[in-house]
Amino acid sequence: MPGADKETDLTERIEAFLADLKRGGSGTGPLRGSGEMARETTYLLRRITAQARWSSAGDLMEIIRNEGRRMTAAQPSETTVGNMVRRVLKIIREEYARSRGSSEETEQQESLHKLLTAGELSEETFREHFVHLKANVIEAINELLTELDGTTDNIAMQALEHIHSNEVIMTVGRSRTVEAFLKDAARKRKFHVIVAECAPFCQGHEMATGLSKVGIETTVIADAAIFAVMSRVNKVIIGTQTVLANGGLRAVNGTHSVALAARHHSTPLIICAPMFKLSPQVFTTCSLSLNDVNSCFPVLKILSKVNVHCPVFDYVPPELITLFISNIGGNAPSYIYRLMSELYHPEDHKL
Amino acid sequence: MGLVASRGGKQKKGNVTSEQEEEEQPLQAVLVADSFNRRFFPISKDQPRALLPLGNVAMIDYTLEFLTSTGVQETFVFCCWMSNKIKDHLLKSKWCRPTSPNVVHIITSDLYRSLGDVLRDVDAKNLVRNDFILVYGDVVSNIDVSQALQEHRHRRKVDKNISVMTMVFKESSPGHKSRCEEDDVIVAMDSKSKRVLHYQKTQGLKKLQFPMNIFQHGSDEFEIRHDLLDCHISICSPQVAELFTDNFDYQTRNDFVRGILVNEEILGNQIHLYVTQDGYGARVSNLQMYDSVSSDMVRRWVYPLTPEANFTDQQGQGCTHSRHNVYRGAEVSLGHGSQMEENVLIGRDTSIGANCHISNSVIGNNCTIGDNVVLDRAHMWNNVHISSNVEIHQSVVCDGAVVKEAVRLNKQCVLAYNVVIGPNLSLPEGTVVSMHHPEEEEEDDDDEFLSDDQEVGHSKDKTRQKAFNPAEVGPEGKGYIWKASMNDTEDEELAQCLWGLVLNPDPESDSESEASEESQDRSRSVSPEIDDVNAFQLEVLGTLQRGLEENIVCDNLVLEINSLKYAYNITLKEVMQILTRVVLEYPFQQQGTQLTTLQYTGSLLPLLKTWSPVFKNYIKRAQDHLDCLSAVEELFLEQDTHQTAMVKVLMKMYQLEILEEEAILKWFSTGATNDKSRQLRKNQGLQKFIQWLKEAEDESSEEGE
Repeated sequence: MPGADKETDLTERIEAFLADLKRGGSGTGPLRGSGEMARETTYLLRRITAQARWSSAGDLMEIIRNEGRRMTAAQPSETTVGNMVRRVLKIIREEYARSRGSSEETEQQESLHKLLTAGELSEETFREHFVHLKANVIEAINELLTELDGTTDNIAMQALEHIHSNEVIMTVGRSRTVEAFLKDAARKRKFHVIVAECAPFCQGHEMATGLSKVGIETTVIADAAIFAVMSRVNKVIIGTQTVLANGGLRAVNGTHSVALAARHHSTPLIICAPMFKLSPQVFTTCSLSLNDVNSCFPVLKILSKVNVHCPVFDYVPPELITLFISNIGGNAPSYIYRLMSELYHPEDHKL
Repeated sequence: MGLVASRGGKQKKGNVTSEQEEEEQPLQAVLVADSFNRRFFPISKDQPRALLPLGNVAMIDYTLEFLTSTGVQETFVFCCWMSNKIKDHLLKSKWCRPTSPNVVHIITSDLYRSLGDVLRDVDAKNLVRNDFILVYGDVVSNIDVSQALQEHRHRRKVDKNISVMTMVFKESSPGHKSRCEEDDVIVAMDSKSKRVLHYQKTQGLKKLQFPMNIFQHGSDEFEIRHDLLDCHISICSPQVAELFTDNFDYQTRNDFVRGILVNEEILGNQIHLYVTQDGYGARVSNLQMYDSVSSDMVRRWVYPLTPEANFTDQQGQGCTHSRHNVYRGAEVSLGHGSQMEENVLIGRDTSIGANCHISNSVIGNNCTIGDNVVLDRAHMWNNVHISSNVEIHQSVVCDGAVVKEAVRLNKQCVLAYNVVIGPNLSLPEGTVVSMHHPEEEEEDDDDEFLSDDQEVGHSKDKTRQKAFNPAEVGPEGKGYIWKASMNDTEDEELAQCLWGLVLNPDPESDSESEASEESQDRSRSVSPEIDDVNAFQLEVLGTLQRGLEENIVCDNLVLEINSLKYAYNITLKEVMQILTRVVLEYPFQQQGTQLTTLQYTGSLLPLLKTWSPVFKNYIKRAQDHLDCLSAVEELFLEQDTHQTAMVKVLMKMYQLEILEEEAILKWFSTGATNDKSRQLRKNQGLQKFIQWLKEAEDESSEEGE
């Protein structure tokens, strides 16, 4: 039975992916970096679309939603996975609407006026069967994959608009996007980068070696020196783990103190974040669910009577951020909600 | 392996995987889901240790998750005690789902009595084809052993089949709470090749001995380390199983390691070591360890194996994690004013009353907890009912137990399955309450031997004995105190071991070093029970006195003294010293201490003559002579007014052939150890006597020629 074989093969892959997710959050496991995570998720979703048994868009959406729920539960700190699931759901909606012949434009414009005037929201069932839907959806997912592949380059291309000669740039820890961004600018301009080491994992050291290899003048500082050095800095350029719906950040810990120091010295804070990091989540103060509290071993090796906490992420409120640079251009934090509604369907915010 | 790459070849996927398997054999593991000891009795009477919950997840799941995450593809689980329960558990778990990357085979047998039996069975069934990982079913770890595995394989490739085992250790300084005192080891290793040269458990040892030969060959750098925590994870080559078969007396890994090291030169096998600095690895070998591993887990040391990760994929096991390491499962209700201070894990459907105070505790599923309850370092499993005003400190409460009003559990109490306690009771520290009567097993044996007419009376006795004692478990309580005193000594040790507190470390049992044994002997001979020696001395005095009065033959005196020697457990050396002393003091005993030297010698010399056969019987070897002489010297050092008599005594003993001249000369020349005895040797009479002896010797030797 080739069909059954396919099915078990698919579930095997999903289980393996879930196990990988569980074992390694925040770049410590077999999957490293959120870009790779986003790509892996999308590949898997494409495979589900191609191999699972479904007859209508509604079925497929249900399947993907179920798997998406399991994936996000496996590693709640890795928001990229959920984002990609939402993107694919949105793709299915659009393809379904196009197959039906209705324009997606009208459906998307949910103005306040429209909400008031509409009586009962016409419940879309997605039950109709279209022959080409599968091919179309897979085609659209392929487009999404190409977009994902190009994100870092797209962001790096904008570097020359933001970095000028002889500037002093500060960054925190290691972000592949920021590294590519700075390296791109270094091809034409000469500038100085200060890297905060970002204890306890000290990814900053890696970043600094990477930058100095391409000839950028680089200085590593301890996290405690961030405020002291800030007065010399022209721009702070950092990456982030997630961009939240309100325009805030969930970024590696230490970022909040950088953001506050930058605000105190009126230094612009620029965030390099590809669009797949944009998440419909919002920050709630009383929960650590946003935070991934890691093992404490890097912090302390000998102890028995000490409590050690090692949170991995900081929340940075949107008012401290000057600009987001994404693969589709620069945006202010106040504009994030708009991008959000373009990328995701409001019904998918909660999987 | 990227998904794209494999997607291209999906049509011929079957072939591809089989080829891959041929190239690279799957990593195998042997998991021993039995501890082969009774440490967790009475808890493990109802549930095997591997299934005891740690942070609301069975311990064996941690071990399997550890194996799976290191890339093990095939695991053999060996169970013995309550194997059905383990089997049921595993069949229901995610490990036996068809999609599991780690194929679990369950092998059960009632015949396994030790790790050795299991490995012999592995060899007999020919289960392992390649290097495998050996763990117990109660190991909690997140160590990445792939590095160790690589090193192990490399070693085996370079030196064909010489290294048989790589043990994984974690660096942690002595006193770390996840170190188990029973597992403390001292390891001598070659720093370059990481080869184990010497391996010794240090529990209860005050002295350690290293054989010199370990430092003589091999490289020039050695490390002797005590800062290692044994994770009980070992990477073994298939030879290990064979070696266990060849040496049928190997019971534990300890035996094996020792055997390999001792026979290294003969068999040419070596054991290596892998020391890791990060990661967590510990074996839950007693309740003390259970307590510390559980709290480490809640404090996220075993990340990513954290409570909220729900790595077992069980429905409804998920929980949320909030500040101060407070984890809450689904449908947890918390009363008004209750505080969860820190490091608290609460399972699903548990309800907690008002004004409770909970810290550093793990509470299972479906528990109910009343008002005003204080829990500190409590481990409560599933379906536990706690009434109001209860206080629990550092205790384990097993499934289905009920704690009634106003009960206080002091430190290190254990309430086993379905026990009821209270109300209004305070359990003293270290109480273990179980539904199993501690004498249950013994009585079962006794029953068979009861005769019919006795049975009635006996069974009445038994029911009375079997009734719950309200003083122990409270007026409404159900359960028996599992107590040491009610059982034989072996169980006494075990009951204390439940919490890992070994009160009477027995150094002899483990120490192989001769030094420690020797020192023990010496200490015993130098200062045995002082009463015994005194009593013996008095008895000897009495015997000699009677012998003199009743004119008993010397042979019978010897017999009597010999029997006294055994009765008071006196060594031969002491017999000699005491005998000499008693004889020399005899005149003082009889006629008072005011004797002049002349009177003393006058009464002593005939006595010596009478008892010379007794002396001769005891004084045979050269050492005996010296011992006798030192006893004489000791006495005359005390009685310094009579020192002149000493020469006469020695002379008499020489003439009676009790002492030989060589022994006297030797004693004179070498025996002086302090100023007093040196002073003694300057005595003129003694000098003359020695001079005379020397001349006599020369003469005799000349005569001999």
